[in-house]
Amino acid sequence: MAQAETPASDTRRTIEVIILIALVSAFLVVSLLVHKPFGPGNLTKEMVGTVIAAAVTLIMYSFLYRDNPLFKIAENLYVGVALGYGSIMIWRQSLLPEVFEPLFLAPTRDAFWSALAARGIPIVLGLLLLTRLSRKHSWLSRYSYGPLVGWGAGMAIVLTFHTSILKQLQAAIAPLQEGITNSSFGENLAFGERLGQWLAQVGLPVLGALVLLVGTTAVLFYFFFSVEHKRLGKATANVGIWFLMISFGATFGYTVMGRLSLLIDRVDFLLFEWLKITR
Amino acid sequence: MWYKRTIPLILVFVLGILAFTQNFVPHPLSEKFLKTVTDWSRIINGFALFLGAYSLLHMHVSRIRRQQPGWAYSGFVFIGAMGMIILGLWNDGVGPVRASPDPQGTWFNWGYESIQVSCSSAMFSILAFFMASAAFRTFRARNLGAALLVVAALIVMFGRVTISETVGGWLGRPKVFGDIVKAIMDYPNMAAKRGVLLGIALGAVAQSLRIIFGIERSYLGGGD
Amino acid sequence: MPTHQDSLKRLTVTRQIVYLLVATSIILPFLIKGISLPFEAEPGAETFYKQLDRLPAGSHVLMSFDYDPPSKAELYPMTVALLRHCFEKDVIPIVMTNWPSGLGLFEKACEEVAAEFADKGDKKVSGTDYVFLGYRPSMTDLILNMGVDIKGAFTTDYYKQPTAAMPALEGVKSLRDLDLAVALAAGNTVELWMAYGSDRFGFPLAAGTTAVGAPKLYPFLDSGQLVGLLGGLRGAADYEKLIERPDIATSGMVALSGAHILLIVLILGANIWYVVGRITGKEGK
Repeated sequence: MAQAETPASDTRRTIEVIILIALVSAFLVVSLLVHKPFGPGNLTKEMVGTVIAAAVTLIMYSFLYRDNPLFKIAENLYVGVALGYGSIMIWRQSLLPEVFEPLFLAPTRDAFWSALAARGIPIVLGLLLLTRLSRKHSWLSRYSYGPLVGWGAGMAIVLTFHTSILKQLQAAIAPLQEGITNSSFGENLAFGERLGQWLAQVGLPVLGALVLLVGTTAVLFYFFFSVEHKRLGKATANVGIWFLMISFGATFGYTVMGRLSLLIDRVDFLLFEWLKITR
Repeated sequence: MWYKRTIPLILVFVLGILAFTQNFVPHPLSEKFLKTVTDWSRIINGFALFLGAYSLLHMHVSRIRRQQPGWAYSGFVFIGAMGMIILGLWNDGVGPVRASPDPQGTWFNWGYESIQVSCSSAMFSILAFFMASAAFRTFRARNLGAALLVVAALIVMFGRVTISETVGGWLGRPKVFGDIVKAIMDYPNMAAKRGVLLGIALGAVAQSLRIIFGIERSYLGGGD
Repeated sequence: MPTHQDSLKRLTVTRQIVYLLVATSIILPFLIKGISLPFEAEPGAETFYKQLDRLPAGSHVLMSFDYDPPSKAELYPMTVALLRHCFEKDVIPIVMTNWPSGLGLFEKACEEVAAEFADKGDKKVSGTDYVFLGYRPSMTDLILNMGVDIKGAFTTDYYKQPTAAMPALEGVKSLRDLDLAVALAAGNTVELWMAYGSDRFGFPLAAGTTAVGAPKLYPFLDSGQLVGLLGGLRGAADYEKLIERPDIATSGMVALSGAHILLIVLILGANIWYVVGRITGKEGK
């Protein structure tokens, strides 16, 4: 049910409209003063682009106050521009060199037949893919989509297993093995020095590898729900949770840096390219 | 109908097994087969990308035609998309087939830099504000796990920025906070990430097997 | 008794105060001249740097820039720094991407860095000193395809020049012939480059990612599957330091420090308030 308009909300809306008009006017005045578009040679594509970029940036930041029609317009315009850009790039980078040029701009008849022989089947399969848009004939697209999915799945089994499982297990266990088999440290040294060398070459690396192995196993066990987590299982899962929490905290720390970097980039643009403040 | 589902599933199985075995067969024919399939895949996926772009545009055009709530905004999607497609095909007079002598100077690239780059960068930079506000309002050390999370986050946040080296310098060891962050990343973080990675990889392998053997069929879409 | 409306109003005001503080903490360091926070490159960045620095002139380095404008802030400075390093060493960067929405950025980076060197009298020519291959669909199959035949995967470069007899690709038939590959990624493309590329075809791979993506790649660095890792804006700043060309990333470090300190203070303050509240028996707000 729509809220009844009260005098307070009417006043607030009027104030917001006045502030919006003031801000837009201020933006235009500042842009005119800084970029001087009416000066000789100043009205360039780059200058207009900078002002438009600054405008859409500030419109995006208006969302921090609240969602508003200007933001929605800029957002949808961006979606459209991105869609158009992507479409043209797919044409230029994929369909033009792989389909159009070999077939329709072939220099000789032999080149055409050679291209057709090499590309005929994938082009037909690609066109079959487009039948996915039809409710009646979409089953035809399974003949191109299916083999691709099957091929991808078959490849993924081997390569994922090798990269993410075998190599990682090797990395988890190898330091332990190296540490345990490493026995070549100073034989003619005093006990204290030998202990120091042993700690540096064997003790600490093995301890570190054990911490990693215990942590990895505990985390894996935490996600294993086929067995009830009680007594030793519960303790192991708890250790897994601690490792996960530290990891999430570290990831959050990195995420903070990432998000703030995005903001720094935009502030840099607004200050040094739009407002032309000297560094 | 057997030709609508059964044959595609057979093709999935055959290609899956062939892909699997190809990794273990070093014969030149095997490599030729790999090259042929991947060449075909490149061409087919070009059409798939066009399908995605068309679907998105179609959704917004339908919204305009049916005058659904917010349909006017879809008009801007259409304007943006058509504007860029026209600029891209016109290509400053060069046309859609030949390469522009100055791609950076075209109106098409101008649209990309002025609107797409700035809009998307600004949109994602808003996350910085949301993240700061959310962290301030919700990050509380309510129990041991949460406390570990908060402490690790604070240490990493401090250790990763350059001011930590200045503060470390005052304490006589500029790199001390960086070393602590490195220890956190190299031990507890790596252990946890490795555990998660192993779990995800096992899941991915299981899912791939389900696809090849026809247990998982959602990619076929609806209908017969 | 505070009403729901009062709580919402207080929440909104708190939120907007935080927004203002964050904005101020970033804008002020840019406006106040003369602040500098000297830093040394981290060991991780040094390892990455050495991988490229040890290569002799004429080596081929594949650079896969797999990001789009939202990640430009962190990865574009890395892109520029890496290209500068390649051109300084007369190493040939083979640039490509799996994200078509970033093509304009990568073209701009190649042309601007090449123009920089041209201004210094060391002209870099596309097709001879570097090559921008552009984009082809289907990332995993493209990598497998390049593992057999790069020129077959990219018959022309981004500027529609045929690659068959291109001087920049002389001696490079497949990924196996690379001296180094670098993947700058905003998503999961580094893992895909490892699985389908470096682990399968046996070439060294280094990675640069956004800060969000860096922590999950540490296991691969430990196992040797990655020979170097740069993470986020700090990684880019470290690389700029190592090549002795401070640029955008370095200039952002002071603002980044300020914003991080603000957030640390806010989180610590909120937690101290919470703990005090629990000790005194009131719920921390």
